[in-house]
Amino acid sequence: MSGISRRKFLKSTVVAGGSAAAAMSSTKSAFAMKEFEGYPDSMGVLVDLTRCIGCRTCEAACNKEHNLPEPAVPFDNFSVFDQVFHGGKQKRRPTEKAYTVVNRYETKAQGAPVYRKIQCNHCSEPACLTSCFVNAYKKTKEGAVIYNADVCVGCRMCMVACPFGVPAYSYDSALHPEIIKCNFCYDKRLKNGQPPACVEACPQDALTFGHRKTLVKIAHERIRSNHKKYVDYVYGEKEVGGTSWMYLSSVPFDQVGFNTTLQKHPILDNTKSFLGIVPMVLGIWPAMFLGFHLLAKGGKGEKEDKSKNKVEVHGE
Amino acid sequence: MKSRKIWALKGIIVALFLLAAPSFGAAGEPPATVRIDSLSHLYDGIDFDHEMHVGVEEDCSVCHHHVFGDGVANKQCARCHSDSKGTSSVACRDCHVEEPFTLEHMMKIEADPNRYHIDITGLKGAYHLRCLNCHIEMDAPSECADCHERTDIGDRFYRSGKYAPTGGESGGHHE
Repeated sequence: MSGISRRKFLKSTVVAGGSAAAAMSSTKSAFAMKEFEGYPDSMGVLVDLTRCIGCRTCEAACNKEHNLPEPAVPFDNFSVFDQVFHGGKQKRRPTEKAYTVVNRYETKAQGAPVYRKIQCNHCSEPACLTSCFVNAYKKTKEGAVIYNADVCVGCRMCMVACPFGVPAYSYDSALHPEIIKCNFCYDKRLKNGQPPACVEACPQDALTFGHRKTLVKIAHERIRSNHKKYVDYVYGEKEVGGTSWMYLSSVPFDQVGFNTTLQKHPILDNTKSFLGIVPMVLGIWPAMFLGFHLLAKGGKGEKEDKSKNKVEVHGE
Repeated sequence: MKSRKIWALKGIIVALFLLAAPSFGAAGEPPATVRIDSLSHLYDGIDFDHEMHVGVEEDCSVCHHHVFGDGVANKQCARCHSDSKGTSSVACRDCHVEEPFTLEHMMKIEADPNRYHIDITGLKGAYHLRCLNCHIEMDAPSECADCHERTDIGDRFYRSGKYAPTGGESGGHHE
């Protein structure tokens, strides 16, 4: 190894080290963002399944509030609870015509059926938002996850990304199809500090609107003061990093259609650590391989040339 | 269009019934009936047969908690209120507000970090949770219309009766 090449190698190593340090520091700040636990004044809704009577008033209120299309059957028709899809495995889901639906579950533990309202849970760190490459989604400081159809290109990645299977797509619209989901009544109500239409309409106070951090306290207090009635768990407090809409239940959550296998940290975290490495790779690798290249070329360059010539001679 | 929206908003404020204060006279006699009709919208108001219900449930504290100052049936409440004095008003609406989810009300509740009662149901919720749960338990009438007749606005809200869907759509469900 010649002196010149060693000097060159050391030089390039210093460059590589410097860029690695720079890359590390930028990665560190990227990791720090992981601790985001939602906006401090985020609003939310606590859904208490022990109070829901399946009256579908929330569905009617939502339909009216958002001028949604006419339903197939009146909202006081309870035959919809018998509807099943995909060979009986799937109950009703929010659609492009209904931002929220209520399903009925006959559980073994409970004599009476349990009803569960479904809508967008408005995650603190929404997977739909992070999956969207045109930034059509926005998490507002009030807690709503809202969607802008104007920039949406219709890739439907958000539908795949959502851990709760909430976003629906208006397949029926040939010219302006868009993603449709519950928007927490953001434009008409939430941003003015008003509760969503479904909450206001609920006759049973099965839906409690408030600051998310207060709702967490209320939820645990309800469990504590009536521990025989409730399952000791607040669904949505931790799921996928926390959601604005949370649930209390008297029966195990997996018996009433909840996915109890979801991770407790934001879905974004699964890719965040990988994406943090990318700038480091881009910074270090060129310098490191340049160093290797110079080292190899400087030390063995002449020998290689000779052996190359020999091969060529053999070839002739 | 604007007036329609206003109607829509009004429609969503479901029958927040306001129970008139059972005005106890000098003799402290409870009212025979209580008209529950304030803010009724989707459903008509009702004349609550207070006298009959007093006959069914002799312990007033089951519905009125600790307000009479003579003990409270609920053990959880009794921890603090077993020897509470009677309150000046015993009306539901004095504690269970009509609009529990306004920012003002929330601020009031959250202003005191030591406050225990941060989870008081709204008036509409208080009625339904109290009345309906007991009615179901005692096998009393428990359908919506068993207690209050639905109004025309209510029919339109639920897309029922003469406002029922005309058909043509088959479910509208997409997976």
